Amino acid sequence: MGKARIIRCVLGMLGTDVHTKGIRTLAQLLRDEGVEVVYLGEHNTVPGMASAVIQEDADIVGLSFSTAAYLHYVRAFRDELISRGAGDVPVMVGGMIHPDDRAPLAEMGIEGIFGPGSTVPEIMAFMSRAADAYRNAGAVNS
Amino acid sequence: MRSNGKPPSLAASLDEKQVRLSRTRTWGGLETQASYGPNDANERDYKRDLGDPGEFPYTRGAYPQMYRSRMWTLRNIVGYGAPEDTRDGIEKTLAAGGTGVNVVVDTLTQQALDPDHPAFGAEAGLEGCSLPTARDIDRLLDGVDLTKVDVAWHWTIMAYQMVAAVAVKRGTPLDKLQGSHMPDHLQETMCGWGTDLLPAQLSQRATVDCVEYCVRNSPRWTLGLPQGYDLREAGLSPVGEIAIGMAVVKGVLRDLEKRGLDIDQVAPSIAWVSTADVDFFEEIAKFRALRRMWARTMRDGFGAQDPRSMRLRIACHTSGRSLVYGQPLNNLSRVAVQSLAALLGGVQSVEACTYDEPICVPTQEARELATRTQQILANEIGAARTADPLGGSYYVEALTDKVEAEAAKLMAEIEEIGLLAAIDAGRIAQLMDDYNLSFRREMDSGERIVIGANAFAPPEEPPPRRFTFDPAATQAHVRRFKELKAGRDGDLVKRKVRDVYATAKAGNNCSQAAIDAFVADATLGEVWGAFRMAMGRPYDGYRVIEAPFDFEAVSV
Repeated sequence: MGKARIIRCVLGMLGTDVHTKGIRTLAQLLRDEGVEVVYLGEHNTVPGMASAVIQEDADIVGLSFSTAAYLHYVRAFRDELISRGAGDVPVMVGGMIHPDDRAPLAEMGIEGIFGPGSTVPEIMAFMSRAADAYRNAGAVNS
Repeated sequence: MRSNGKPPSLAASLDEKQVRLSRTRTWGGLETQASYGPNDANERDYKRDLGDPGEFPYTRGAYPQMYRSRMWTLRNIVGYGAPEDTRDGIEKTLAAGGTGVNVVVDTLTQQALDPDHPAFGAEAGLEGCSLPTARDIDRLLDGVDLTKVDVAWHWTIMAYQMVAAVAVKRGTPLDKLQGSHMPDHLQETMCGWGTDLLPAQLSQRATVDCVEYCVRNSPRWTLGLPQGYDLREAGLSPVGEIAIGMAVVKGVLRDLEKRGLDIDQVAPSIAWVSTADVDFFEEIAKFRALRRMWARTMRDGFGAQDPRSMRLRIACHTSGRSLVYGQPLNNLSRVAVQSLAALLGGVQSVEACTYDEPICVPTQEARELATRTQQILANEIGAARTADPLGGSYYVEALTDKVEAEAAKLMAEIEEIGLLAAIDAGRIAQLMDDYNLSFRREMDSGERIVIGANAFAPPEEPPPRRFTFDPAATQAHVRRFKELKAGRDGDLVKRKVRDVYATAKAGNNCSQAAIDAFVADATLGEVWGAFRMAMGRPYDGYRVIEAPFDFEAVSV
């Protein structure tokens, strides 16, 4: 049953970033791959985004950043999810992520880091794996 | 296809390496022929359709002598941290040979959010300079004569009003004010801000108010309108840039006519903010087609009499989205070709992107190289020698006609609906989504090749160098901002901000009230919030903070 379930992915941006080109395109490409995309768009606050993830029962969250505040926002977002008991929802980030920031992101539990040059198959492979792991863990717990 | 891990044969390798033409369409999607000749010119009349440089319809250039009479302005974008940080960056840029200063503000200042905003304060100073008060602009431009130094502000909301407030405080007459900014709020709505944060009607009103006040009070101030650059970066072709950009300008001009302004009072203050992407010939054709369409629209559509209204000036910033993260030094080649296209297209100023644009805020070295690229074009390549050097080329003339015809078609489609209605209905967003999606699909299929992205991608590279700066000055700047708010004459600020609200609410132009409020140390967030509320929107577009006091209360 688990395998057949469609991946439900919340995509959005945090903060004042207006560079929506990448994430809007990705939303469509993922839909083409059969992903159920809940597109929150730009201009989300950390609490607003966390609420949406919980309400939408997302299997995975994708955040896109084209401005330099992403370490701050990803940390705040992870903390918010954890404080609301949703810390195990996998989070992936994309956009202008500098290689120097991969290690700090990994420490926050961000395994999926995509950027310029990432392909849809790469992103899909990660999402399937992460969403499966999340659901299976949920199945064991419930 | 390589199988079983065996290295490919030399012959197979050579075959793979062969360069084939991947695409016969332009980068923007226009089909081209293998060659062009005299028969591809559809009944072109030199005087009617081209004209000498400096002559109607200005296809061949805005000025008779072009770069012999005035060299283009070599610009560099600067902006990070506190005003003191950006000031330091400007001094370095001018020392390296730049001739104009372009200030980019941080994302908070762009959106008129103060740096003490509880949700977004962490972004202060990160992507540009934080300028929440007139005092901060005064610090940035300490000792700079506002009537002489040409500062270009990459900034829309209240930029002019804040600079004008500094002029008022210094006793500088507004009619002598020199500089430019980009009052195209609709572009912001279209390029990622969205209709919730910035409704089209509100944007239109803010632009028309600002332009009206500027042309009536500061005729030497240049208005970057439309802001075609961001439209292109968000996902428009050269054809789309002209079509949507012209629709924006025409809408503003029509509203200004209703306020009793003559076209010849407005159009000479306008400069088109454009880009140069990687398709060399298509961009040259675009600049030429744009000038022709502008000239005819101003003369025939709006009844302009003054040649300065018909002669379009163009400011070009080379395309950031065209630059590639992989093997970033290749971007130096891209920027050189893009800058050359801008010059052969006859623009009045060029900001060459830095090669590290896809990586971070530009490093000092990258900024210097961007200036050097322009200096090489100016002094060695011969790009500036003769006006419109490609005029008369069978291909360039045919492409110029094609870009213009397609742009006119798209513009008519948009105007049929009405630009504001088209924005509200998501038509422009759809246009951009379609462009970006097909761009991506063409890259995936290999029809569109971008070196370092989907072809010839470099193997593992060392991490690119990154711009860093000490956040201490930004932190001190934010503390100083909070102290100013606590220590200023609160009653005066309330009165002035209420004036902004009341004036706008009554349907009048609140620019003067905004200037007065900034002089009284009102913040950018407060003044814009008052305008937003007068337009029936929440004080904070993000609905995080409430208005600091009741705007409806009667002033005392």
